[in-house]
Amino acid sequence: MSTAYAVPTDLPPSTVKNAASLLRIVALSLISGAAIASRLFAVINFESIIHEFDPWFNYRATRVLAAKGFYEFWNWFDPTAWYPLGRVVGGTVYPGLMATSGVIYNILHAINLPVDIRNICVLLAPGFSALTAWSTYMFTKEMKDPSAGLLAAAFIGIAPGYISRSVAGSYDNEAIAIFLLMFTFYCWIKALKQGSALFGTIAAVFYFYMVAAWGGYVFITNMIPLHALVLVLMGRFSDRLYVAYSSWYAIGTLASMQVPFVGFQPVSTSEHMGALGVFGLLQIVAFGQLVRSHVSSQQFQKLLQVSVVVIGLLGAFAFAFLTYNGKIAPWTGRFYSLWDTGYAKKYIPIIASVSEHQPTAWPSFFMDLQFLIFAFPAGVILCFRELRDEHLFVIIYAVMASYFAGVMVRLMLTLTPVVCVASAIALSNLLDTYIDPTEPTPVEDDTKSESEASTVGTNGSNAPAAQAPSGKKIKKAAAAVNVSGSALSDFVAATKATESGSKVKKGIFGLDVRAVVVFNTIGLLAFFVLHCTWTTAMAYSSPSVVLASSGPDGSQHIIDDFREAYYWLRQNTAEDAVVMSWWDYGYQIAGMADRPTLVDNNTWNNTHIATVGKAMSSSEENAYPILRKHDVEYILVIFGGLIGYSGDDINKFLWMVRIAQGVWPDEIQESNYFTNTGEYRVDDRASKTMKESLMYKMSYYRFADLFGGGQGTDRVRQQSLPKVGPTLDYLDEAFTSENWIVRIYQVKKEDPLGRDLKSANAFSEGKKRKRGKPTSRRRALVQ
Amino acid sequence: MKGLFFSGLLALLSTPFATASTPHEDVLQLAASGNGLIKLNAQTYELLTSPKRTWSASIQFTAMDAKRKCAPCAQFDPQWKAVAKSWRGVPVKQRDEHFFATVDFDDAPTIFQKLGLASAPIVFNYPAAAGERKPASGKTGPIKYDFGDGFDAGPLAEVISKFTPIPVPYKEPIDWTKASLAIVAIPAVLLLLRYLGPVVQNRWVWAVGTILTSLVMTSGYMFVRIRAAPWNGGGGNWIAAGHQNQYGQEVQVIAFIYGLLSFSFLMLIMVVPYQKSPSRQRIQIYLWTGVIMIMYSVLVSIFRVKNRGYPFKLWL
Amino acid sequence: MSPSSWRTLPFLLLVSVTSVFASSKSFENTAIVRTAELGGSVVHVTTTYAIKALDDGQKTYTVALGRAEREKTSFIEAKVKGSKEPLKIKERALDTSKDYHLVDITLPKALSTDKTLNLVLETVQTHATWPSPATAAQNEDQSLKYQTNLLILSPYKTSVQRTKVKTLSPRIISYTTPENAKDLTDKDVVTKSGATVTYGPYDNLPSSTNKEFIEKYQQSILIHYHHEQPVLEVLNLQRSVEVSHWGANINTEDKIDLYNAGPKLKGHFSRLQHQSQKYFNKLSAHVLPALTLHLPAGLSNPYYYDLIGNVSTSNIRIAPSVPKNKQGTQFSVLEIRPRYPLLGGWNYTFTLGWDLPLGDVASYDKSAGKYTVEVPIMTPLLGAVVNNAELSVVLPEGASNIEILEPFPALAKRTDIHKTYLDTTGRPRLTFIYKNLTVKHAESIYVSYKLSWVAHLKKPVAVSTAILGLFTLGMFVRRINLSLTPTRKV
Repeated sequence: MSTAYAVPTDLPPSTVKNAASLLRIVALSLISGAAIASRLFAVINFESIIHEFDPWFNYRATRVLAAKGFYEFWNWFDPTAWYPLGRVVGGTVYPGLMATSGVIYNILHAINLPVDIRNICVLLAPGFSALTAWSTYMFTKEMKDPSAGLLAAAFIGIAPGYISRSVAGSYDNEAIAIFLLMFTFYCWIKALKQGSALFGTIAAVFYFYMVAAWGGYVFITNMIPLHALVLVLMGRFSDRLYVAYSSWYAIGTLASMQVPFVGFQPVSTSEHMGALGVFGLLQIVAFGQLVRSHVSSQQFQKLLQVSVVVIGLLGAFAFAFLTYNGKIAPWTGRFYSLWDTGYAKKYIPIIASVSEHQPTAWPSFFMDLQFLIFAFPAGVILCFRELRDEHLFVIIYAVMASYFAGVMVRLMLTLTPVVCVASAIALSNLLDTYIDPTEPTPVEDDTKSESEASTVGTNGSNAPAAQAPSGKKIKKAAAAVNVSGSALSDFVAATKATESGSKVKKGIFGLDVRAVVVFNTIGLLAFFVLHCTWTTAMAYSSPSVVLASSGPDGSQHIIDDFREAYYWLRQNTAEDAVVMSWWDYGYQIAGMADRPTLVDNNTWNNTHIATVGKAMSSSEENAYPILRKHDVEYILVIFGGLIGYSGDDINKFLWMVRIAQGVWPDEIQESNYFTNTGEYRVDDRASKTMKESLMYKMSYYRFADLFGGGQGTDRVRQQSLPKVGPTLDYLDEAFTSENWIVRIYQVKKEDPLGRDLKSANAFSEGKKRKRGKPTSRRRALVQ
Repeated sequence: MKGLFFSGLLALLSTPFATASTPHEDVLQLAASGNGLIKLNAQTYELLTSPKRTWSASIQFTAMDAKRKCAPCAQFDPQWKAVAKSWRGVPVKQRDEHFFATVDFDDAPTIFQKLGLASAPIVFNYPAAAGERKPASGKTGPIKYDFGDGFDAGPLAEVISKFTPIPVPYKEPIDWTKASLAIVAIPAVLLLLRYLGPVVQNRWVWAVGTILTSLVMTSGYMFVRIRAAPWNGGGGNWIAAGHQNQYGQEVQVIAFIYGLLSFSFLMLIMVVPYQKSPSRQRIQIYLWTGVIMIMYSVLVSIFRVKNRGYPFKLWL
Repeated sequence: MSPSSWRTLPFLLLVSVTSVFASSKSFENTAIVRTAELGGSVVHVTTTYAIKALDDGQKTYTVALGRAEREKTSFIEAKVKGSKEPLKIKERALDTSKDYHLVDITLPKALSTDKTLNLVLETVQTHATWPSPATAAQNEDQSLKYQTNLLILSPYKTSVQRTKVKTLSPRIISYTTPENAKDLTDKDVVTKSGATVTYGPYDNLPSSTNKEFIEKYQQSILIHYHHEQPVLEVLNLQRSVEVSHWGANINTEDKIDLYNAGPKLKGHFSRLQHQSQKYFNKLSAHVLPALTLHLPAGLSNPYYYDLIGNVSTSNIRIAPSVPKNKQGTQFSVLEIRPRYPLLGGWNYTFTLGWDLPLGDVASYDKSAGKYTVEVPIMTPLLGAVVNNAELSVVLPEGASNIEILEPFPALAKRTDIHKTYLDTTGRPRLTFIYKNLTVKHAESIYVSYKLSWVAHLKKPVAVSTAILGLFTLGMFVRRINLSLTPTRKV
């Protein structure tokens, strides 16, 4: 056997084996290192701080857990959230994340390592990303071989699609969920291959962990049954499948019901019915198999099959019936909105208003997965080539996940692992083929190969016509024509070839072609690394709590207004002063300012949020009663107009209006906030309702004065503001942060003289007032 | 039906004393003549929306004339008609309390100017301005209908029901064609399965299906569908500006590029190695590697158009 | 006043009375000059006694402070004028029935008749001033009031005495003119020149530590003046110092609760106004935009954060390290800008920490085999008083026979065990509690301890055994075979 390049032949196999395993371990540890390191941009550029919004709640809950212990946390009722309702935190969270970091915290302190709980929370996601890389390696190893596994691990380690949710400081459920997802899948595959109840049980345990950690567990709950179902439909039912699925489902479901937030959903909601149904089906099929193995009569076989089908149908009808009369809850809004994409916008505007619930445009895919996004279809095809049970899993996963990722940006997260796995399979196949030194025996006779091609090719028949007898150039050209012409036929031939096993000798001739392909691949990978680094650094590593602005000389200047204002609240207001803000900032206020809030990011109560929306979008007179009724002490608004921070409340205002309109359609109408040419403006041409709305007033109060008589401009809206800013009668400006991003207003108490505050103000400003109730009142007082 | 007859009769009666008739009767007459959907001009508009109206009304402002080229108008009109039609079904007593009307730009441009309307279609709901149906809030001004939910009749009826004495009894019409199609389809599919068994069981059929699905999805098809993004920007530009935005045409182009790229990967992996003759194999390898390089750089250059800040570029 | 002292009271009375009686003719004051330098929350009072012995072998001289003043005073020190080292002081028990308080000063050497000596008594009063008016708007000035006694009491005759009250700015709003001081002097009772108000000179005062004199002459004087710096108080200061021989460094961490004790903010804070004031550099006196701290030279990785993370608005200029024996004058300067400007009545809490090379602050005494570490009690914050301070010093694991040398006694002390960083037996921790610390108290405690070489090895041994245990465990786990059919491999 000739080889393309020299390979040492005198190595004992054991040496090779050991060297390989050593290399694997080294590679894996390097990959873990890379995965962790690439997530530390945020810490290095800024500091070890919790990012964004939801993480602040998780962090706060974790602090309670670490300080007071698990049972306290379990029974924790938080009176400061959703004032005046309060929130039973223990029963309304997925405790997995907090429990995890709580355990880590306790272990570290048990061995006297006084690590601050904040640092644990910040670094949890990077740490788990390393574990994710490892579990992806294991998973892919089951699909192909360790080399593919290493590639997959490397991909998931640095793929922006996953980094976006797991940079240091983004302390959210997804941080640990993806590891759990991949590991559960790995255990499932392992259990399926071996038919081992042990791995089935491990899968169940990790499934439970996943349930405790992330609402996305439903993805597993439906993926595994789907896989099982497809296997059954393809007639691939086996005892291994039976054992694996039964052990997973029985234990997993029982375990998952221990999580209070999940409770009895696994037997009462549609999301979980699929799993139950497949479980039942498997029992039936297994029974059928059993009977078949014992009974031989043809009729009985028929009867059996019929009965199986009938039972299946009955089950389906029973499910439908139960759903119909409410025994089984239908799909919850979030999940339903995945199928009926118009649903959310119509009926649950709050969900629709969240930016990460928007559909995904293709640049996001490319941004998050770069070349993997087109390498992965190839991998899927390769899975089709040798269609083992586990490959089916990857295929189903690929289809499902790519649909979901298309519908919701946030679900890009679930797509990323399968993309990494599939494209790793593709690439490692490519590299295997082109690095493999063995050379096949060449067949230089063209006519032969031609005839072969034409016989094989379905459309290759015209190819020989294009052939000329001899002459190297012409031959090459002809070959080229042939190639382009009969690509498909070759493809078919290839597939045939694979099916007909290893009779066909395959291989690559020559060294140059190997070099070309290998270098090309290496180029792709290198570019991928560059891309990932850039994306991570640019797009995914800013903790939205602290903003960075770079000066003209490129020097980084940190804008810290949020914390400035939150800390002011924390230090200089009453412990129980209720702060009203749009719900985005609820968790941050609770976490950093430590004050009660009306609404927060846990958007379970539409009406309450709509109330805030109404207060913000209606005029002072109408808002005041609402504020007083809810004991609101301070109102906090985000205003980017001065330094051009686009994520501010005026830009979110329309959502507040919409959500309020959803509940009070006759008091709030979105159209009133547009100019009559249908534009959304804040300048002179802004509609009257807009100008009178509380939000508008609070945002632009005294903003014009800042320009000292000059024409003030809003840097976000790029509109020049009216010379005379709005005035406030029912509120006082309490604090405004350095760059005016956060503005805090205090709600005035009722006027001691019982006047409405407007006229009271007018009086104190000594304006000329028509005589009316206030005057007479006052006179009465004087006498 | 009976209601219709009645109103027709009433119209008949009221014609002789048209002079002495109350505004409400006039409006009723209009409604009758318009067969439940009043076609307004300047005067009748004033009549219908008179500040002393004891009735409520929903008015559609549209421009159906072909030369106006108002596609949405044409799209919305049938829905509107359907809702108006469904209102005719309610008992006379309530029916005569609420009216559906249409103002076409070409009939009464003055109204458009008066209301400062620059676009169409628009639906205004006029609550009753007098009488016992005057809203408690005292707001009697027209209230604009929000097309946020699209032009469907369902939501429209829901909203209008807030102004009518009784809810508009609008029912989604059963799409018989669809239904019958389904009824035909199911057995047909079953039948096909018998004959197309081999096709259905052929893994490569499924493979192609799978790949097409994921390619289409990953090139932003759902975005285009949900956001109802236009096919292209017109004037030959088919790339929507901005990182979070795209046109329908991009889906195809990108999907094609992705497809071609992964296809050439597959060629390199699955086909080329089976080539017997070194020369042909070499050519194929160079060919497909070249395809990968070129298509990839094309892709990156397109991406650079979408994402201005992107620092990297391949040859192009 | 604690019950025990109640019980002993009569006796003490007796003692004090006799002593007064005895001492009243053993000295006379040729002149007493008291100078009160008014600050924000801290007032320095320096009293110079020119004394003349009327009798031989006089070793103790007694001074009297007004009782109210004694209660405000957090620091007393007596020196012979011109000399450095302080004299020994013995305070008599506080007697609530009298409104003066006696302090015995032991003179360096006994004075014989007609020998004279100049004594300087330095006291520091805290919380002696209060803002008036109690609230001020963002753009208004801040003015404080200070109250003290007109006359300096003394058990001895006094030929002449005068009291000077100095303020930092000459803008004194008002000061009391004492009525019945006419017959003490022939000049005018009070004069004001610039930033100084002078009461006296008052001549030929008899021994004044007795009721009738006090009732006849003593009265309180009130100064109302503008103060240009914000009035700062540190409500709580928690300093924890950790000595590490492995890291060869000493880590200091201060938890500081800062409070602006100036006039409370009237109305609300307007950023617009603040920015314009800042632009024209006309911030009101009671607004604190930033403050500077003097940290030791040669410190490394300093940090400055508060409850919600690092405070990005601060910078530090680190001076190079100074070896132990040499006299280092330069220090690192830390400029802290709180997240928000600190207006009257606002709080701001933050944490501050840094490392120092152990060599700069510790020394090893070969003969005794002991290490000695110098631990500063506090970092002086200019013009601020520290209401409550807690200093805890953590010594390395296994430190034994510890000795402490403190500049002045703490209110309370305790020792316990503190476990961090992979400790097995834990480290001894000394804790000291203080109240009302001022710049005068910014001195160092010297802690000396033994540390055997075995103690050094504790940590590595513990860690390595733990890891070894893990490996062995792993070894066994690897060899457990769970498959039912041992032959099957997957």
